[in-house]
Amino acid sequence: MRFAHFSDTHLGFQKSRSLQELEQRTFEDAMDQCIQNNVDFILMCGDMFHTNIPDLRVQLIAMRALRRVYDAGIPVYMVHGSHDSAPNNRSAIDLLEAAGYLINITEQDDSVDDDDGLIHLKFVIDEKTGTKLAGLPGLKVGRDIEYYKNLDRNSLENEDGFKLFLFHGAISEAILDEKIGENMPLSLMPAGFDYYAGGHLHTFRDMNDFSDHPHVVYPGTLLAGYHSDMEENAKGVKRGFVMVDFDERGITDVRLVPSLPCEYAIITIDAENKTADSVQEELKEKIDKVQPSNRIVITRMSGQMSAGRTTDINMANAKKNLRERGALDVLVSRHGLSSTEYSIRAESGSTIEETEKLVFQENIGQVQVKRDTLRGDAGIRLADDLLGLLRQPRPENEKVKDYKYRMTTDALARMGL
Amino acid sequence: MNDIAGQVVGGEIGDVLIRQQSGSSLEIGDLLVAEENDHIMILQVFGLQYGSQRDDRTLEMISGMDLEEGHNVEFFEPDFVNYVLARVKALARVQKDKTVRMPKSIPTFFKKVRMINTGDLQFLQKENNRSIFVGHIRSGTKVLRNAEVWLDARKIFSHHVLIPATTGRGKSNLVKTILYHLLDSRGVGALVLDAHNEYYGSGGDMGLKDHPESDRTLVYYTPNNPPPGALNLTFNLKAIRPDHFEGIVDLSEPQIRTMRRYYSTHSDNWISEIMLNDVLSEESKSRRGQDTKRTMLVIQQKLRQALGIEVNHEQNQVISRHNAFDAIRGKRTADDIVNHIESGHVVVLDTSKLNDKAELIVGSIVATRILDRYREAKELGTLKDKPVATIVIEEAPRVIGTDVLQSRTNNIYATIAREGRKFQVGLTAVTQMCSIIPSTILANMNTKIILGNELKTERQALIDSASQDLSADNHAIASLDRGEAIITSVFVPFALPVQIPYFNDIVIKKPPRTISRIKVFK
Repeated sequence: MRFAHFSDTHLGFQKSRSLQELEQRTFEDAMDQCIQNNVDFILMCGDMFHTNIPDLRVQLIAMRALRRVYDAGIPVYMVHGSHDSAPNNRSAIDLLEAAGYLINITEQDDSVDDDDGLIHLKFVIDEKTGTKLAGLPGLKVGRDIEYYKNLDRNSLENEDGFKLFLFHGAISEAILDEKIGENMPLSLMPAGFDYYAGGHLHTFRDMNDFSDHPHVVYPGTLLAGYHSDMEENAKGVKRGFVMVDFDERGITDVRLVPSLPCEYAIITIDAENKTADSVQEELKEKIDKVQPSNRIVITRMSGQMSAGRTTDINMANAKKNLRERGALDVLVSRHGLSSTEYSIRAESGSTIEETEKLVFQENIGQVQVKRDTLRGDAGIRLADDLLGLLRQPRPENEKVKDYKYRMTTDALARMGL
Repeated sequence: MNDIAGQVVGGEIGDVLIRQQSGSSLEIGDLLVAEENDHIMILQVFGLQYGSQRDDRTLEMISGMDLEEGHNVEFFEPDFVNYVLARVKALARVQKDKTVRMPKSIPTFFKKVRMINTGDLQFLQKENNRSIFVGHIRSGTKVLRNAEVWLDARKIFSHHVLIPATTGRGKSNLVKTILYHLLDSRGVGALVLDAHNEYYGSGGDMGLKDHPESDRTLVYYTPNNPPPGALNLTFNLKAIRPDHFEGIVDLSEPQIRTMRRYYSTHSDNWISEIMLNDVLSEESKSRRGQDTKRTMLVIQQKLRQALGIEVNHEQNQVISRHNAFDAIRGKRTADDIVNHIESGHVVVLDTSKLNDKAELIVGSIVATRILDRYREAKELGTLKDKPVATIVIEEAPRVIGTDVLQSRTNNIYATIAREGRKFQVGLTAVTQMCSIIPSTILANMNTKIILGNELKTERQALIDSASQDLSADNHAIASLDRGEAIITSVFVPFALPVQIPYFNDIVIKKPPRTISRIKVFK
C-alpha cells in the first residue's frame, strides 16, 4: 500500500507567466506521478493555494489536476494551512471540497464536547486501506497551539490500527536553520500515530528518531511559496512530494519524489561599503558572465552601500539583457540592500514576511496605544496577520466592490471587531 | 500590654537578659517585642538558661534531699524563686511610621516584653507582581500565618542567592516554592538545571507544571519522551564552543590548544571534525607526530565521555547516546531557551539523565549566551528593559568551589558569580557544602536562605559571610527543623526566621486559572 504526502504547494504564488507555467507543470506532474504510481490516497497538508481565494486561472489548474486524481479513484485528504484559512471561512478549497475532490478531515461540527471543553477529533477512515486519519488545521496568530492544548489525546492515542495525523505548523524539534516564528513542541502532538504528515516548513525532512512520534515528515514545497525558496532551489535544495509505502506492520519506506527539474543561475552581490555606481558596475560584469539560457536567474543584493540610493541601481536593463539571452525569468532580491543615505533599520529575515515581522518587532515599542491587543507580541501578530491579508491581490474574476467588502470583513474579523 | 513573656533584667548590647514570666515557654528563635515610647524593638531569643534566687550549693542540697533522702521537697513560691533567663539580641527598631532601623540601643531596663504578633511586622514587603513568597515569619517553632515574607525578586536574584542545607532539611521544597512563585512574577527569568528531575512534577508528583500559568510561563526540556507541551532537550553539537568546557572538563594546555585550533579552522563543525578524525590510521613516526596523535585520542575520549557521543563509522557521523547532543537537530535550542528567559519564563532542563560534565556543559552553553546577550543589552542601554536572569544550579561547588577555581581555568558560572550582577545575571546556588566556596564569592551572594545544618564548619562559613550578624545564631541554625529557615540578605531589615510552606499545600490553595472556551473550528 502506498500514499503520497504533499504540502505547501502555494499554487498562485508565482507572478510571471513563465514561472506560473512552471508552477502549473510541476503540480500537474506531481499529481500524474501519484496516478502512475498507484497511490491509494493523497495527503494535502495545508497551503495548497497561496491565498485563500486565488484567481480563476489557479483554481482551474487545481480543479483539473484533482479531477484526474478523482477519476483515478484516489481520495485526497486534507487539512487547511495558514494560507488557506480565513476567519470568515471562505476559501477556494471549499469549492474543491464541495466537488468531492478534497476531503477535509477536520470538518466536524461536534468536535468540542460541552462537558469537558476538550476537542474530540473523529477519525476519517480510508475505505480502501482502512487507514485512520485525524488532524488539525494550521491557523495564524498562534491559535492552533490552543487547539493542541485542548485536545482529547486519550481517545486518539487509544485508537488501534494504522493511524496518520495531519497537521500544518512548525514543530520546534523540526526547525533547522529557518527563522520560524510560531512553533510548538512535538510533545503536544498526540502520541502513537504511525505517521505525522506535516505542512508549513518548506523543505523536506523526515524525523524518525522520536519513539512516541515515529516519522514526523514535512515534504516541503513543490516549487516555492516564498521568494527565498527560489534562492534555495538555486542552491540545490531538493523539492518534491513524499511517497510512503506501508503494510500491515506499518511504514516500510519514506522517500522524496523530486519535482520537475529546473535550471537556475544565481548572482550574488555584496554591496557593503560600495557606492551605487560600483554595485551597478559589478552587477553588469556578473550578468555578462552568467549563462542564462533556459534558466531562472536569481540576483541577490545585500549590504549597506556607502553612497547612492538603493533605487539608483537599475535592474530593468539587467532583466532585459538576461531575458534576451534566453533566461526563463529573472528574480531580484534586494531586501537585504540598504544605503547610508536611506536605510530602514531592521534585521533582515529569510523571507519578506519574516523581514516585515522583524520590522514590527523592532518598532512596536514606539506605538503608544492602550489596547493590549495592539501592543507587544499580540500587536506584532495582528500586524503580521493584517499585512498578510492586504497582500492578497484582487482576483481577475472578483469585482472591486466585492473585493473591498471581502477584505474589509476579513480585516475586521482578524481584528476581532 | 498583654501576653507578657518576660522582663528585661540585665545584659548588654547584643546580649540582653530577660527573666521569663511563669507560664511562658520561650524557645530559641522566639521573637519578642519591647514597646518603647516612639518605637518598638524586636528582640530574638538566642539562648536560654536557668535562674534562681537560691545559690547553687543550696539548690544542689535541696536536690539531694529529694533524690537521696526521699523527702518530698517543694519550693515555697516556686515561680518566684526559680525561673528561666532568656538571652536575647535586638534585631530591629521599628518606628511608629513603620520605618525599620538597625538597633543601636538596648530596651529600657526592667521593660516588660511580649511575644511578637502580626501587627508588629507590617513593614514587611507586600505581595506584588515583582515579589516572590518564601514563607511565613516564625517565632521559635510558632508560625505567624498572617505574616508573609515576600522578597523583591529582581533585587535578590540579580545579587545571587545561596541555599545551603544538608540532606532532608527541605531544600527541594524551598527551591520548588521559589520557582513556583517566580512563575507569577514578571521580573525574573530562570534557567534551572534540574539534576534530579524533581521540580517539573513528573510521574504524577506535584510540581511546577501544576501552576495555573505553567503553560505560559514554564518551559520544560527533557531528553526523552517529553510530556505534552514539553520540549526535547537536544543541543546541536555546533552550539558548543571550546570555552564551554573550561573549568568543567580537565584539559591540559596542549588539549585546549588543539580544540581551539580545530574551532578556528572548522568553526562550529569542530567537534565532528575531531571525532571523525581517524587518528589511528595516520602514519607518524616523529615524536611530535606521536604526541599530536596522543593528544587527539585523549580529546576524542574526553568528548565522548563528557558529551555522551559516539562515532558511527559506517555512516561517518557523530551520534548521541542520550539525545542531549546531536549533529543535526537542536540548532535552535540554546537560542530558544535564552529567548524564554528574556521573556521572564522559568526554563527547567531535566539533566537527570546526563552525566555530571554534560549537565554543566549544557548549562554553560546557555549561561554563556545569556551573559553575552545581557552584556550587549547593557552596551545598547536596554538592560533595564530585560528581566533579571538567574541560573539555578545544584551542588554549586562543582563549578565555584575553591579547588575548582584554583586548579582549572575560569568557567562561566564563576564569571557570573563574580561579575554577573553588573548585567542583571545572577546565580542561585544550591549546596550542602558552602564552606568550600571561596569567601569572596560567598560574600557576593547577597541573599542566603539558610536551612538546618548540623555541620559546624558549614554553619561557620555561613555566619562569616551573612549579610546580618549571625554570630549568636550558631545553635539556632543547627536546630532548624525541616522547612525552617533563616533569611539573611541585604534586602531584608534583619535576618528573618521563616517557615517554608509545604509545596503541595501551596499548589492546592492556588485557585485555578479560568480558561476561556476556544471556538470550534470548521
